[in-house]
Amino acid sequence: MKAMVKPLPVQEAYEDLLQRSLSRIPCDLGRLLYLASTRDYNTGNYHHDGLADRFSLKVARSALEIAHRQAFCKVAVLSLEDLVRDLATYLQCSRENPEEFLRTWQRLEPYRIAIPMEVNPTVARLFASNVRLALAVLRLRRESDHSDR
Amino acid sequence: MIGVWGALAGAIVLLLVLLAWARAEASSKDSRSDWGASDQEQGESVESCSLKIVSQLFSAPDSKFISGLESPGLENLFRRERTAVALHWVQETSATISRILQRHLEASRLSSDLEIAMEARILLQYVRLKLNCGILFALIHLLGPQRLAGAALHTERLTQRIGEALREFQSAAQLREPDGAGTP
Repeated sequence: MKAMVKPLPVQEAYEDLLQRSLSRIPCDLGRLLYLASTRDYNTGNYHHDGLADRFSLKVARSALEIAHRQAFCKVAVLSLEDLVRDLATYLQCSRENPEEFLRTWQRLEPYRIAIPMEVNPTVARLFASNVRLALAVLRLRRESDHSDR
Repeated sequence: MIGVWGALAGAIVLLLVLLAWARAEASSKDSRSDWGASDQEQGESVESCSLKIVSQLFSAPDSKFISGLESPGLENLFRRERTAVALHWVQETSATISRILQRHLEASRLSSDLEIAMEARILLQYVRLKLNCGILFALIHLLGPQRLAGAALHTERLTQRIGEALREFQSAAQLREPDGAGTP
């Protein structure tokens, strides 16, 4: 007889989140920003209606928090080349004007909201620094594309 | 004669960089609370992906990728960005080492069977790690982080090892003293 091991509710919620929501997003940076957007700016608590309905508010919150931290760690250790590729995919999927997108991201640095609360300060700095560099690389590529034409 | 003056100038530069490090470390202690994480939380997060982060921070492939783009402006930006983060990492590591020793000293004060040889070894490791951090800080300023990956990884591993060893040492001490301090 096989022993059935029931997954913990948070683990179940986490897998549900991966399957239903995160798998539809084509890049790591997109997944990270999506997860960060489920966090309340004032309280730092995470909320996802669908997940809270299927599980509970507390379980959904924990699953989102874990997923956010994992997504962040994944992006933080991407090589610069991979991050540039990922950012280019994100830019393409956003369907925004690339010039405007790059300018806004360089000025407002909206990616800073993607940093989880309890994260090592060096990792947070490396992440922000890498995104700044990736933006500069994409801008340089666009400028050289324009000058080639 | 030039050799003597050169050595003197080098020593002064090194001293200035070390002074800057000491000041930067003091200010990093003040600003640490901005992040809101407790010491324990920070310690845990440092261990979780710290080696990967150190490798990434000091990595040569990223530097090669940027060099391949043949843009002096971008290369300058890369050097500035990586140097700033690497210096921050040295300060954080140095502060972590101080915190580890501080916790150990607090635990040692309550212990009834201190081993002098063991305490001396711990103190020596502490001094060695602090010295490593000081030298790394100076070298990052002078050479940039990309040539220092080996030294940085060594320091990170040593810091983790001393942290783990002291944690084990403290739990062993607690097991030896089940009815220890605190009971009237």
